[in-house]
Amino acid sequence: MAPPQGRPGGSGSAEEPAEAALETKAATAAGRAAAAFVGALSKAARSFTLYDPSNAVVKGFLADYRAAAAAATAEGALVLLVRPFQLVRAGEVVYEEADRERSLSFRLFRDGLRRLSFEPGVPWEELLRLLEILAIRSTGVRQQEDDSVTLLRKAELQAIGFEAVEGFVPEEESPEPVEASRVSAEASAPQGFDTPFPRLPPPAELSHEPIPEEALAALREEERPESFGRVALGVAAALLREVARKGLPAADARRFLVEARDYFVADGSFGALAGLADLATRLPGGALRDEILRSLGDVRILDLILASHGETRELPPAVARLLPLVPAEGVLDLLASEKRPARKAVLLRMAEARVPAETGAIVARLGGLDAATAGALVRAISARDPAKTAAALEALLEHPEDGPRIFALEALAAHPGEIEAQKAFPLLRADAEAVRIAAARLLERRGEADAFDPLQEQLTRRRGTSRAEADALARALATVHPVRAGPVLGEWARARRGVLRRALGSGDREELLRWAAVTGLGALPGADAARRIEEVAEHADEELRRHCRAVLARRRKEAAGRG
Amino acid sequence: MDELERAQSSLGRALGRARAGEDRELAQRVRELGEQLSRMLSGLLALTKLHDPSNRAFDAPVAELAHALSALVDLLGTVHLVTVEDQVYVNDVRARDEGNVAKRDLGGALRRHNVGGISFHAPLDSRAIRLLVAELAANPAPEGPRASLAAALREGEAGTVELHGIFRFQQGRTAERAVQRDPGELLARMLALVTETWNNLSAGRALNPLPLRRAVVEMIDAGIEAPPFWLAYPEAPVHVVHAVQVCATAQLLGKAAGLHLAFLQDLGIAALTHDAGYLGLSPDEAEAPLARHAFEGARMVIRQRGFSEAKVRRLRAVMEHHRDHSSPEGTPSLGGALLRVAEDYVNAVRLYGERTTRARILGAMLAAAGRLYHPILPQLLVNALGRHPPGTLLELEGGLLGRVAAPARGPELWDRPLLRGIDPATRALTGEWIDLARGTTGVVRVLPG
Repeated sequence: MAPPQGRPGGSGSAEEPAEAALETKAATAAGRAAAAFVGALSKAARSFTLYDPSNAVVKGFLADYRAAAAAATAEGALVLLVRPFQLVRAGEVVYEEADRERSLSFRLFRDGLRRLSFEPGVPWEELLRLLEILAIRSTGVRQQEDDSVTLLRKAELQAIGFEAVEGFVPEEESPEPVEASRVSAEASAPQGFDTPFPRLPPPAELSHEPIPEEALAALREEERPESFGRVALGVAAALLREVARKGLPAADARRFLVEARDYFVADGSFGALAGLADLATRLPGGALRDEILRSLGDVRILDLILASHGETRELPPAVARLLPLVPAEGVLDLLASEKRPARKAVLLRMAEARVPAETGAIVARLGGLDAATAGALVRAISARDPAKTAAALEALLEHPEDGPRIFALEALAAHPGEIEAQKAFPLLRADAEAVRIAAARLLERRGEADAFDPLQEQLTRRRGTSRAEADALARALATVHPVRAGPVLGEWARARRGVLRRALGSGDREELLRWAAVTGLGALPGADAARRIEEVAEHADEELRRHCRAVLARRRKEAAGRG
Repeated sequence: MDELERAQSSLGRALGRARAGEDRELAQRVRELGEQLSRMLSGLLALTKLHDPSNRAFDAPVAELAHALSALVDLLGTVHLVTVEDQVYVNDVRARDEGNVAKRDLGGALRRHNVGGISFHAPLDSRAIRLLVAELAANPAPEGPRASLAAALREGEAGTVELHGIFRFQQGRTAERAVQRDPGELLARMLALVTETWNNLSAGRALNPLPLRRAVVEMIDAGIEAPPFWLAYPEAPVHVVHAVQVCATAQLLGKAAGLHLAFLQDLGIAALTHDAGYLGLSPDEAEAPLARHAFEGARMVIRQRGFSEAKVRRLRAVMEHHRDHSSPEGTPSLGGALLRVAEDYVNAVRLYGERTTRARILGAMLAAAGRLYHPILPQLLVNALGRHPPGTLLELEGGLLGRVAAPARGPELWDRPLLRGIDPATRALTGEWIDLARGTTGVVRVLPG
C-alpha cells in the first residue's frame, strides 16, 4: 500500500506555514503549555534533518523539549487527539500543520495513531524514545519496515500511552475495485511446493515436558540486540557465497554489505565491523574482493578507531582486523596533520597496514608527510610491496625536506630494479649540497647518457661548488657517458695561462675543474686516462698532486677489485 | 557528559542505525529527482496535445523521465508519486517547483482517471513510459476509470506501475473503523493481504512489509490461540493458507519460547512471505524449486531499500527456513529454525493429514529433534499444541465427534483441549463447543483427517 495522498478536507488548502508560525488556537494556560510541548517535540524531531545529532542546536531543542514536557504534564496527564493535520487537547487545537512533509500529526494519523497520552512525571527515557521514533519517521527516507504505531508498540512505554486504529485505510473519494481482477490470486506456488518432504523417523510418544529456563534463555539469546551483528554477518556470508557461485549479482551483495557497514558504524559495533572485514578479506583475490573492499572503505571507521584506542601506540587485534576497511586517504589526511605521538603511531600502523592494497594512494601522498613517517611508509612498501619500492622512492624525491630526499636518492642508487634516474636531475640543483651530491652519486651508479648534459651544466655553471660535490659530479659524468667525458675532462685537465685563463673566468673555477677532471679521469677506463692524471700531477701544486695520487691509488684499487 | 549530551549520543546512534545506507544528501537527491520526474511526466502529458506519444519529439523527455525514475528506484526501491491538489510528493518528500505550470496540472491530469497517486515498483523503459503517457492523456473510461487504466497498463506489460485512488483526510471527521479484535475478520484480512503480496511480487513489485507487520501485530493482540487461526480457513489459495498457518504456528512457538514482541513481529512477516521465492525461480531453477526458493525469497527481501534489524532477521529466516539443524552449512538462525519447525508441521499436516494423525506427525518431528530441527523446538511445539493438536479429529464418548479448535491451554490442560462439534454425516463443524477440561466426556480414539 502506498502512502495515501491526504489533504485537509473542507479547507482545501495546503499552504506551507513556517514551523515557527504555527497557528494554534489554544486559549487556556494548559492548552498553551501543550502547544509549547508539541511544538518543541516537532521541532526536535525535525532538527535531525538539518543538524548532526551532536550539534549544540540539537542540545538546545532537547532542553526545550524536556522543559516543555514537564510543564505540559505538571497539572495532570496530557491527552492529545490526533487529527490529520492537527493535534487537539481538550477541544483546543495545540498543533496545526497542513504540509504533509512537515506535519507531525499527519504522519501519526496516517500510521493509524489516534490518541497520545502523557502521564505526569513521564520519565526522560520515555520522552527520548518517543522523540527517537518521531525523528526516525521524520528523517528517514527509506523507512518502509515500521511505522510509528509498530515502533511505539515495540518500545513498550509505560508513561506514554497511545491508541491506534487497526487496518486503517483512509477514506477514498471515489472508490472503485481498481485491481480486483489482479487480486484474484493469479500468482501461486508451484504444484507440489515444499516437496519432497524430509524423511522423518518413527514417531516418539508425546508428553508435556517442561523446557528448562536456561535452555529457553539460550534460545532467546539470538533475539538480543547484541546478537544482531552475528545474524547480519551470517546473511552477508551467504550472499557472498551466492555471488561466488553466480547466483546473485555482486551489486546486490555489495549494497547489503555497505548498508551493514553503515549500521555497524552508527552503532559503534567493532566486532561486527571486524567480522565484515574478515568476510571481505577472506574472499579469493580478484576483482570481486577488490570491489567489495573498496566499497566497504569508510573514513568513519577511522574516526571510531581513533575515538576508542586511547593513548596506546599499538592497535588492539580486534581493531587491526578493521584496517582493510579504512581507506588510506583518510588515514594519510590525518597523518599529515596529527601532532600527538600516540595517535600518530596508531595512524602510521594503519597506513602501513594498507600496503599493498592501497600502495598507490600512499605513494601519491608521501610528499606531504614528515620525514620519519614518509621513511617508515617507504620501508613498509619495500617490505610488503617490493615492486612499488622504486615508485615510492621516486615520489619521495619530491619531498620538501632534505632528509627524505637523500634517503630516497641513496635507496634508489642501491635499488636492484628499474628506476627512472631522470627524476634525480632537478635535485642536482637543490639548495642543499648533500642532496646535490647524493643526486650525483645516484646518477653515477644508475644514470644513463642523458644525464651527461645536466651533470656538465651543474659542474661548469654553478658557483661555490665544493670539491666534494665536484668529485661526485665528475665521477658521474665519466660514468654516464665515457666517450663524451674523455675530451671534456681532458680539456679541463689542461693547465691554462694568461688569456686562456681569463677567458675561462676565475682561477678558482679553473682550479675546481682541473680537480674535477682528475676525479673524472680516474673513473674513465683505459691507460690514457691514467696518463693524463699523471701529466696533471707533474704540473700541479702540492694539494692537487696529492689528489692525483689518491685518485690513481683508488683507480688501481678498483681495478684490482674488478680482477 | 551531561544528561542532554548522553541523549544526543543515544539519539545519534539510533538515527544512524535507522538510516544506515542513507546519507544526508539522500532527501535532497530524492527531492531533485522527484521534481524532475513530476516535471517530465506533466510535460509529456502536455506534449500529447501536439504530438502522438510515438513522435520523435517525445524521445528526449521520455529518456529524461526514464533516467530520473531509474535513479529514484535505485535510491528508494518503490517510488510513490502522490498528488495533493497542486502539490506533488515523492515518497513523502515534496517536489517544490510549484512555479512550473505544467507540473501544477499533474494532479488534475491524474484526477481525470480517479488517480491520486502512482507507485513505480521498477524502472520503466521508453515503451512503457509512452504507454503510460498515452493512457493518461486518453479520455478516461466512463465507469471505473482507474481500473480501466490499470488494466491497460497491465496488458501493456507495465504492471509494475500501481495506481492509487484519491484519498481525503477529513478534519475531525475521517471515517475509520472501530478497533477490531475479531480473529475471524483478521484472518480473512490476512489471507487477502498475503494474496495481494504474492500478486504484487509476481508483478515485479517490491515487498511492502508494513501492512504485513500491522497484521501480525493484530494477530498477536487478538491472541494467537484463538480458534479461527487453527480451524479450517476460509476459501483461499493453498499457498496463502499455508503462509498464514505457518505464521500462526511460528507465532505460537515464539510465544512459548518467550520471545520479545519485536522479534515475533519480524518472525510473523517472515512466515507470511517465506515461500514467495517460488515466484522468482528461473526456468532452470524450477527443476529443483525446493533447493532454490528459500534464497530467491531472500533476494526479494534484499530488493527492499534500507537496512534494519527487522529486515535482516527476516532475510536470514527466509533464507534458512529449510536448513537442517545439523547442516554442514551451520545451524540456522533462530528465525530460520522456528520457521523450519512450523513449516514442516504445517506441510506434514497438509500432505499426510488425511492418512495419519497430527499427534503422530508431531511425534516424528520430535524424534528428529537435534538432526533436522533445533533440539528443543519440537518439544516446545508439542507443549504448545497439546496431546491433540488443533485440527485433530476426535471420537468422543457417547459417539460424539469433535475437532480440536485451539492449542493447549497450559500444562494442566495439555491433553484436554477445546473442541468444536462435528456433524457425523457431513463432518462439517457445528456451532457446538466441547471443552474436555470439564470432564463430562473423554476421548475414545484419535482419527486421521
